Amino acid sequence: MSDPTRTRSDAQPVVRAAGVTKYFGGVRALENVSLDLIPGEIVALVGDNGAGKSTLVKILSGIYQPDEGNIWLGETEVRQLDPGRAREFGIETVYQQLFLCDNLGAAANVMLGREPVRARFGPLRFIDNKRSVNEARKHIAELGIELDNMIAPVRRLSGGQRQAIAIARSTVNAHRLIQFDEPTAALGVRQTRATLDLIQRVAARGVAVIMISHNLDDVFAVAHRIVALRLGRISLNTPLDQTTREQVVACMTGVSFGKEAS
Amino acid sequence: MSLPSVSTLSKWMPGGGRNVGLLVTLVLGLLLISLFSPQYLSLDNGLVVALQISFVGIASLGTASLIIGGNVDLSIGSQYALCAVSAAMLAKELPVPLAWIAGILLGATLGLINGLMVWRINISPIIITLGTLTIYRGIALRITNGFGVRGVPKSFSWFGQAKFLDIPLPIWILVAFALVAHLILHYTTQGRHLFAFGGNKQAAEAAGINGRRLVLASFALNGALVGTSAVLAASRFGTAAPTFGNGFELDVIAAVILGGVAFTGGEGSITGVVLAVILLGVINSGLISTGIDPHYAQVVKGAALVIAVTLDQLTQEQQERHRKKLAFQERFPTA
Repeated sequence: MSDPTRTRSDAQPVVRAAGVTKYFGGVRALENVSLDLIPGEIVALVGDNGAGKSTLVKILSGIYQPDEGNIWLGETEVRQLDPGRAREFGIETVYQQLFLCDNLGAAANVMLGREPVRARFGPLRFIDNKRSVNEARKHIAELGIELDNMIAPVRRLSGGQRQAIAIARSTVNAHRLIQFDEPTAALGVRQTRATLDLIQRVAARGVAVIMISHNLDDVFAVAHRIVALRLGRISLNTPLDQTTREQVVACMTGVSFGKEAS
Repeated sequence: MSLPSVSTLSKWMPGGGRNVGLLVTLVLGLLLISLFSPQYLSLDNGLVVALQISFVGIASLGTASLIIGGNVDLSIGSQYALCAVSAAMLAKELPVPLAWIAGILLGATLGLINGLMVWRINISPIIITLGTLTIYRGIALRITNGFGVRGVPKSFSWFGQAKFLDIPLPIWILVAFALVAHLILHYTTQGRHLFAFGGNKQAAEAAGINGRRLVLASFALNGALVGTSAVLAASRFGTAAPTFGNGFELDVIAAVILGGVAFTGGEGSITGVVLAVILLGVINSGLISTGIDPHYAQVVKGAALVIAVTLDQLTQEQQERHRKKLAFQERFPTA
C-alpha cells in the first residue's frame, strides 16, 4: 500500500504534546508523554484499559489540563488549553457514543452550532436552510458517503450513516487534528470498513489523526504510526512498518510473547 | 374529485401526521357539535371560545418551548396567581400601565428563578418547580390574606377588555405571539439549538451551544408569557384572587402534550400546540352548548390526551422496529 505521508515524517507537527504529566489525586495517569502530530498522519493510540489513552485525548482537546508539560499548537506554546481554544484551533474529537441529536436531521446535526445565517432580527438569527443543507451535503460527500435525506431525523438512519454524520460534523471544524475514540467499537464488519475508509479520507486531506483502538486489525489496516501507552508512559512510538503485532502487544501489556518474527 | 391522502397531507402540514390528526378531529368535533347545537358555529360564539382559550393558549407557547428544550415548569399556575394579584394590587398604587408591565416582568422573574435553580441544582425540574408551585402560591395567599383584591381602579380593566376590529385584545396577542413563537422555534438558530438541547444535551454542548443561556431564557420567557396571560385575565375581571390559576398548569401541559410536544424534549411544533389548544377549548365549550353535563368535558379531554400519546408511542415503536431491521440488514446484507 502506498503511503503518501511517509515523506512527511519531517514535516512540521501541527500539534505537540511535550513532556505531559497528569495526576488524578495520587494516581499518575500520564507521565512525561511527548507526541508530535503531523498533518495527514494517522496515529493509532493503543494500550490496556487505564493506560492513559483517553486522558491524553482529553488533554489534547482541552478538557483536562496537564500538571506538567505543555501543549504546542503549531508554533505557539499553550499553558492552559481549554475546549474553546482547542476548537478554535481546529481540534475535534469523535466519541464512541457519537453525540448526535437523534431528533434532528443530518444537515442540522452536521451544522449544529455553526448554522449559516440568512437574516438577523435583534438577537434572533434566521437559519439559511438551503445553504445549511448544501454545506452539510458537501461535507458528507467529501467523506464519500451519499445521503438522500438530509432533513429526516437521524434516528431513522443506520449505524453506518450515523457514524458518517458524526465524522462529517467533526471534520467541518477539525482542519488541524481529529481524534477518534474507539470509532469502530460498536460497528459490524462492513461499517467498520466504511469508517476506516472515512478516517483515511480525512487524513488524506492533510488533517492529523489520532485513533484510539483496541482492535489491532483496524490499527494495522490504516495507521501510519503506532503509539502504545502502558501505565501512563509511552512504551512504543514507531512507524507502522517497523513493528509487528507481537511487539505492539508486548509493549501494551509489558509481557513478552517470545522473540519477534524476523 | 378526490381528497388528498393522509400521507400527502402530513407531508404538507408542518409537524406531520399529528397535526393532520388534530385538524381532522377538530373538524369532526365541530360538525358533531353543530348537529346538536346549530348556533355553535357562529362568528359570535367563535369569538367567545377564542377569548376563553387565549389565556391557556398564550401560556402554552412558553411551556411548549420549555418542554421542547427538555425542561418543564409545574409552577405556572402559581405564577399566574401571583402575577395576577400583584398587578391588581400595584394598580392601586402605581399608574395602571406600570402595574400591567410589572405583572408581566414579575412572571419573567419567577420563571428565571426556577431556571436558575434548575440549572444550578442538578435535580429534575419537576421536583424543583413542584416546590416553587407551593412557594409562589403561598406568597400569593400571604400578600392578599387569602382574599380577592378590592378597590382596583376601573382603568385596570382596559388591557383585558380592549377590542380591535371587534376582536378582543387577548386573541390578537395569542395570534401574534403564536406567529413569533413559530418563527423563533422553527427558523432561528436559537430555536434549532433548543430542539438540539432537548434532543441530546451532551451533543448540543459538545457542539458549543450555551446550555445555560438557553435554559434561563426559556424559563424566563415562559414566565413572561404566563405573566402576560395572568395580567390579561386579571384585567378582564377587573381584579384578581390568590386562587386564580388553580390547575392552570394541567390545562397548559395537557394542551402542549396533545399538540405533539414530546415530554422527553426535542419534538413538537407551535402549529400542533395551537390546534390542541383550540380542540380542547371546543371540547369544553361544545359539550356545554349541546347540553351534556359539563363534567363530561373533563373525561373527554383526558381521554383525548391518553389516546394521542398512545398513538404516538405506537408510531415510535414501529419506527424503532424499522430502524432495527435496517441495522440488521446493514450488518448482514445477505439476510
